[in-house]
Amino acid sequence: MAKQHENLAVADALEAKLPTKTMTLNMGPSHPASHGTVRFNIELDGENIVKLDPEIGFLHRGFEKSCENVSWSQCLPYTDRLNYVSALCNNFGFLSAVEKLAQIEVPLRAQYIRTIGAEIHRICDHLTCTGAMAMELGGFSPFLYAIEARDLLWDRIAELTGARLTTTYGRIGGVNRDLPEGWIQRVKDSLDRVAQLRDEIDVLLTHNRIFLDRTRHTGVITKEDAVNFGFTGPCLRATGVDYDIRKAHPYWVYDKVDFSVPLGSQGDNFDRYYVRIEEMKQSDSIIRQCFEQIEPGPILVDDWRYALPPKPEVYSTIEGVIGHFKLIMEGIKIPKGECYAYTESPNGELGWYLVSDGSGRPYKVHCRAPGIPLMGGLEHMVKGAILPDLIPTFDTINMIGGEVEQ
Amino acid sequence: MSDEKKPVQMVNVEVDGKPTSVPAGTNLLEAAKTVGVEIPHYCYHEGLSIAANCRMCLVEVSTAPPGKLVPGCQVPVVEGQKITTDSPRVKEQQRAVEEFLLLHHPVDCAICDQAGECRLQDYFQEYDYRPSRLDSAKWMKNKRKDLGPTIVLDQERCIMCTRCVRFMAEVAKDPVLGVFGRGTREVIDTFPGKVLDNNYSGNIVDLCPVGALLNKDNRFRARAYFLTATPSICTGCSRGCNTFLDHFQGVPYRYRPRENKDVNQHWMCDHGRLSYHQLYDDRVLAASVGGAKAEAGAAAEAAATALQAAGKGAAVVVSPVLSLEDALAVMLLAKEGLKATEIFVSGRGQGDADFFLLREDRNPNRKGVELAAQAFGLEVKPFAELTKGKPKAVLLAGVDVPTEGQAFATWLSGVETVVAMAANGGTVTAAAKIVLPLATHAEGEGTFVNFEGRAQRFMPAYEAKGAMQPAWRWAATMLGHLGLEFRFASAGEAFAELSKRLPAGALGDFDWKKAPRTVVKGVTPLTGGTVDGRPPGWRELIPLRASSAGSDA
Repeated sequence: MAKQHENLAVADALEAKLPTKTMTLNMGPSHPASHGTVRFNIELDGENIVKLDPEIGFLHRGFEKSCENVSWSQCLPYTDRLNYVSALCNNFGFLSAVEKLAQIEVPLRAQYIRTIGAEIHRICDHLTCTGAMAMELGGFSPFLYAIEARDLLWDRIAELTGARLTTTYGRIGGVNRDLPEGWIQRVKDSLDRVAQLRDEIDVLLTHNRIFLDRTRHTGVITKEDAVNFGFTGPCLRATGVDYDIRKAHPYWVYDKVDFSVPLGSQGDNFDRYYVRIEEMKQSDSIIRQCFEQIEPGPILVDDWRYALPPKPEVYSTIEGVIGHFKLIMEGIKIPKGECYAYTESPNGELGWYLVSDGSGRPYKVHCRAPGIPLMGGLEHMVKGAILPDLIPTFDTINMIGGEVEQ
Repeated sequence: MSDEKKPVQMVNVEVDGKPTSVPAGTNLLEAAKTVGVEIPHYCYHEGLSIAANCRMCLVEVSTAPPGKLVPGCQVPVVEGQKITTDSPRVKEQQRAVEEFLLLHHPVDCAICDQAGECRLQDYFQEYDYRPSRLDSAKWMKNKRKDLGPTIVLDQERCIMCTRCVRFMAEVAKDPVLGVFGRGTREVIDTFPGKVLDNNYSGNIVDLCPVGALLNKDNRFRARAYFLTATPSICTGCSRGCNTFLDHFQGVPYRYRPRENKDVNQHWMCDHGRLSYHQLYDDRVLAASVGGAKAEAGAAAEAAATALQAAGKGAAVVVSPVLSLEDALAVMLLAKEGLKATEIFVSGRGQGDADFFLLREDRNPNRKGVELAAQAFGLEVKPFAELTKGKPKAVLLAGVDVPTEGQAFATWLSGVETVVAMAANGGTVTAAAKIVLPLATHAEGEGTFVNFEGRAQRFMPAYEAKGAMQPAWRWAATMLGHLGLEFRFASAGEAFAELSKRLPAGALGDFDWKKAPRTVVKGVTPLTGGTVDGRPPGWRELIPLRASSAGSDA
C-alpha cells in the first residue's frame, strides 16, 4: 500500500531531532469530537499518529446470535438497530436476503415502496453524517439545518411506519402496510424543504476555508487501497471507483429509475463529504421518479406460507386461523439452504449471509456491515497525519456502532 | 436354502429417487421413512390395523396403473418399485384432501387443546396454505359429546380417521366406539347403551390427530405449545411405561406414553396417566422438626443425631417408589451410618392387574430396592414385620405404606423418633417428628427397575421447589453428619459409586449415561424436529441447581 503521509519521514538534516518518546492517548469511547461509541488507542509522536487501534464492542449487541433464537420475522426489529439512522435500508436489505433464500417474488408496488423508503433514509443518513461532521469541525449551524431536514423526513417515516427510528417496516414478501393517504404529497413538500436546507449546508461548508483546510487532502486513501480494504459506498466512490450496487446489480426498481452515481477523485475527506451531498440530490430525484411510476396493487405476496392471512380470513375461517397460528407460533419456514444477498445502504454494501435449516428460525445470520472494512482502513488513512485529521476522517467513514458490532 | 438363513426377505425400492432396502411386507409409508421422506397421514398408526380412509398418504408408484394413486399405509413394497411422493399429482391430492378435511372444521384453534400439536394445522401449513372456498354455512355437530368418565368428544373437529374405534377394538379389547351415519353426517359415538369406561381410554386422546377427543383431566388446562416434554417413567405400577412428562413453569400437566416396543409399545393406562397428580398435589415443601419449620441442614442434622442415638434400635423403611439411586444411598446410610442389618420395604398397596399393562404391584421400583438391599447385604423384610417390632426409631424413606395410613400413624406415635422423607403430606407424614421434603422423579434424575429387572432412566423435568431434595441427597447429608465422608454430589455420581456393589449383571447391559438425553442444560432453542416430534419454539428448562438435578453433562 502506498505511503500516505510524508511528514513523519521528512527530517531536515540540519535540524536536530529532539529525542522524544511516543505518547499513548485514549480517545473515547465517549468523546465530544466524535460520534459513535468507539475507543481509539492512539500512539502519538508529537502530534503525529504513529499507531491507531480502534476498539469496538461497547454496545454489547450480539445481534447475529440473537437472531438464531427468534423466528425469521422476529429478526426484523434487530435490523432496525444496525444503522439506526437508516433503519429501512436494513429492514429491506434483510428481507430481500430472506426472500432470495425462499425465492419469493415481491409485488411491484412493495418494491417501489421499499425503494422510496430506502432513499428517504439514505438522505437522513447522509444528513446526519454531514451535519455531525460539520459540528465536530466547529460549524454548528449546518448541524441544526441537517437535523431540521432529517426530522422532517423522520416525520414522514413515522407516518409510514409508525416509528421515527425503529421502523420494523416491511415483511417477508412485501411490506406490512400501504402508503398513507396524502403521504406522497407530504413527502414531496418535505423534500422541497430538505433540498433548501441541503443547499444551505452545501454553501456553508463547501466554500468555507476552515472546513476545506480540515477536509481536503486529509484522510486520503487511494483507489487500490480502498478496494483492498473492502471499502464500499460513498467512501469507495470518493476515490473514483464507479461501484454502486444499485447500478451494478440493480434490485427492487432501481433499473426503472434514472439516476447517476456521483464520484470523487481524491479519496480525501472532502470528496467523501461531497459525494454524500450529491447522493442526496440523486436520492431526491429517485424518490420523485418512484412517485410518478408507482401504481396501485398488492403490497404483500399472496402466499400463506410466508405472509400472514388477511385478518377477515383469520377471524372467520379455519384456514386463516391455522395459517396465522403456524406463522406466529413457529415462524415462517424458510427452505433449507444458504444465500448471500446485498443492497446498497447509505454507507456501502450491506450484505446478509443467511443459512436456513428449514425450520422457523435462522440457523445462522451474518451481517456484512459496511462500517467494518471502513473501520479497518481507518488507521491506514490517518497514519502519520496529525491528530486533528482523525476527527473529519472518522466522521466521513461514518462508522455506526450498531452495525459494526456483530 | 439361502432363504432359511435369511428369514427376512429384503426388498429394494426407490423413494423419490433414493434407493432403500426394507423387509418384505413393509408398507410404502414406512419404507419412505427409512430415507427420511415423510408421507403425511392421519388414519395410519403403527400400533393399529390399516384403515386407509384418510387418503392423505396417497402416492404414485411405478407398479400402479398410470395416473392412479395408491395409499402408502396399505400397499406393501414390491421389488424394484419406484415411489414418488412429491409429484404435482400427489401434491394436488394432498392439498385437496386437506381442503376437504377443513371444509366443515370449526374455527376452533383459539380454544382447542390440540392447537400446537394438531396434524390438521401441520399439514395445512405444509400442503394446503390456501384460503377457504366454502360459500355456505358450516355443518354443525355435537361439540361436547360425553363418552364416559374420562373422555369428551367434539364431533365437529373429528376427521373420521377411526383410530379411536380401532384402538378400542384392537388394543383395549373393549369395542364401545363406532362410526354412525354417513357422508357429512358421519360421527364417532359409543354404541347404544355403552359407555367408554376403560383403563386405556386416555390413549385415544393421544391417538386423535386433531382436537376431537379430549381428556377431561386436562381439558382447557394448558396450551400444548407451551408445554415442555421431558422423557420420564410412569410410577403407577411396576411396568415402568415410558412416558413424556409435559410440564410448564414447574407444573406437571400430563403424561403421554413414549414409544418403547419392549415395555409399553405406544400406550399407557389411565391409572398411570393420572398418577402425575401426585407430583403436584399436597407436596411437602419445607423441612420440619417437631412440627416446627426448620432449615434443611438443621433438620438433616437433627435426623442424623436422633437416629444415631437410637443405635441399633433404628428401623429403616424404604419405599419402592424411590429411585434406584435413592435406594442405594439410603441402604448406605442404613448399613454404614446406622449399622442396620435389615430393612423394611413399604410402598403402595397391591391392586388388581389387568390384561395388558397394569401390574398388581403399584410401585415402580420394588426390584430396584431389593437389588439395593442385596448390594449392601441387608435383609429385606416385609412391611408387616415392622409393626410387630418395637423399634426405638424409624427412618421412613418415602411415606407410601401398603396398610391403612391412620393405623400406621397411630403405631408410629408410639415410636420415640420418627424421621420421614416425605414427598406428599398425609397422616403418615403428620405422624413424623422430623420431616425431610422429598423430590420426586419429576424434579431429579435417576433409574427405576421394573418388574422384569429392566432398568430405565428418567430425566429431570423442572426444578425442585422449596427445600425438596432427592432421597440420595438427604441420605448423603445425614451420612456427613454421622461422620462419614460425603461421597457423591449428583444422582449420576451416586449410581457410579454405589452400583459397583450391585450383584454382577443385575441390570443387564444398562448404561446410566445412555439415557434418553433430550434435554440440554440451560434455556436452549430447539430447531425443527425435536425428539418427541414437537415443533420448534420449545424452550427446555432443566433444573440447574445441584440439589435437584445434579447432571454430569
